[in-house]
Amino acid sequence: MELNGEQLIAAPIPDVWRGLNDIDVLAKSIPGCEEISRVSPEEIHAKVMFKIGPVRARFSGKLLLSDVIPEQACSMAFEGSGGAAGFAKGRSRVELKLVDGGTLVSYTTEASIGGKLGQIGGRLISASAKKIADDFFQKFAKELGGEVIPLQSAPED
Amino acid sequence: MKAAQFDYVKPKTLSEALDLLVETGDDARLMAGGQTLLATLNMRLSEPSILIDITGITELKGISVQGESLRIGALVTHTEIEDSDLVAKHAPLLKLAVPHIAHRAIRNLGTWGGSLAYGDPAAEWPACSITLQATMIIRGPSGERRIGAEEFFIDLYTTSLEPDEILVATEIPIASKDQISYFNELARRHGDYAVAGIAAVAKKSGDVLRDCVFTFFSVGATPVVATKAQALIDGQELNDQLIKEAVEIARSEIEAIADLTNSAVAKQHLIGVLLERCLKDMLAQK
Repeated sequence: MELNGEQLIAAPIPDVWRGLNDIDVLAKSIPGCEEISRVSPEEIHAKVMFKIGPVRARFSGKLLLSDVIPEQACSMAFEGSGGAAGFAKGRSRVELKLVDGGTLVSYTTEASIGGKLGQIGGRLISASAKKIADDFFQKFAKELGGEVIPLQSAPED
Repeated sequence: MKAAQFDYVKPKTLSEALDLLVETGDDARLMAGGQTLLATLNMRLSEPSILIDITGITELKGISVQGESLRIGALVTHTEIEDSDLVAKHAPLLKLAVPHIAHRAIRNLGTWGGSLAYGDPAAEWPACSITLQATMIIRGPSGERRIGAEEFFIDLYTTSLEPDEILVATEIPIASKDQISYFNELARRHGDYAVAGIAAVAKKSGDVLRDCVFTFFSVGATPVVATKAQALIDGQELNDQLIKEAVEIARSEIEAIADLTNSAVAKQHLIGVLLERCLKDMLAQK
């Protein structure tokens, strides 16, 4: 499954970068986040309750950061187990760019979902992944005191 | 695979059910026909500690005409809609749609309210309820409230229903004498989830359509109404050229979202195919 997107956040790059690295901000931004902790500078552990329609799946996972260019970009490898529901694994790259209006956050994600959730929840997942990403950015922007600006067309550099 | 353990309770009245919901919160799931829920439970994609079976609640049943409205209770099954003379007369769009819903066995148990409350993007009833301008009647701890179908469907699997509320029934304005309907759904095999679908009505006089509603489903997180295509057609004499223009507009005004098996581009294309078939069919209808 691929999930690529862009969000324009009305906040300066240093704030956005700081927020993305702040466990407390992430705890409040990740939809369904129940627990989150930084195990080392590069490793984050989290428990997230995935809720969509009647589906409830608690995922325990970890995030490993790499190729970090401060205030510009970083890569993440993640994996999570959802118990009987299935498991998820993937990689993501996030890039920050200064544009008119604030910080443009671009992300590319490749994920594979296995187990029951992958086999039969597939329809659910590809549509809900985008919703979860959108929810995350709405909450994240609110935490920064800024807001997500709807992207009508390509932003100006 | 089998479901995780759960308690089961079957309240006799709506207020009993509502009290239970408040008490149990997110640990409970309401069960009506169970055609989505039981599969979800058996796959362990949901492990509620208690199932509240609402199939015994008479307030949620029945189809009746009340004044200028057709009232359909939440527990009415798809098959009951299929067999209903009242529906055939007053909301013929539903009769056209029903054979597209899954398969006979599922239609015998699955319910009108269940389909609406779940709000699957590929479902037929949410789109039909929007096209027919249904009003949803909802009951919660603070009493009854009503909301129009278009506002009811908010996002993917997200309706206006709060966790402590139950959808009781819908009211649909009965069809006028000059109303015509069209329903179509494209799927790989009959009974499969729709790849794209249309639920449409219009008032016809001669070759002119008025008050058209073209609602597309399975092209986005919720049903989408093609308002610009509607505006183009409304009040105009329908001909091949106008149909072509409407198709182009519908394809550009709706931003389709891909799903597991079909790209956004494919869905965009099919929106046009469906609208074309719809308009040609409506033109030919007496």
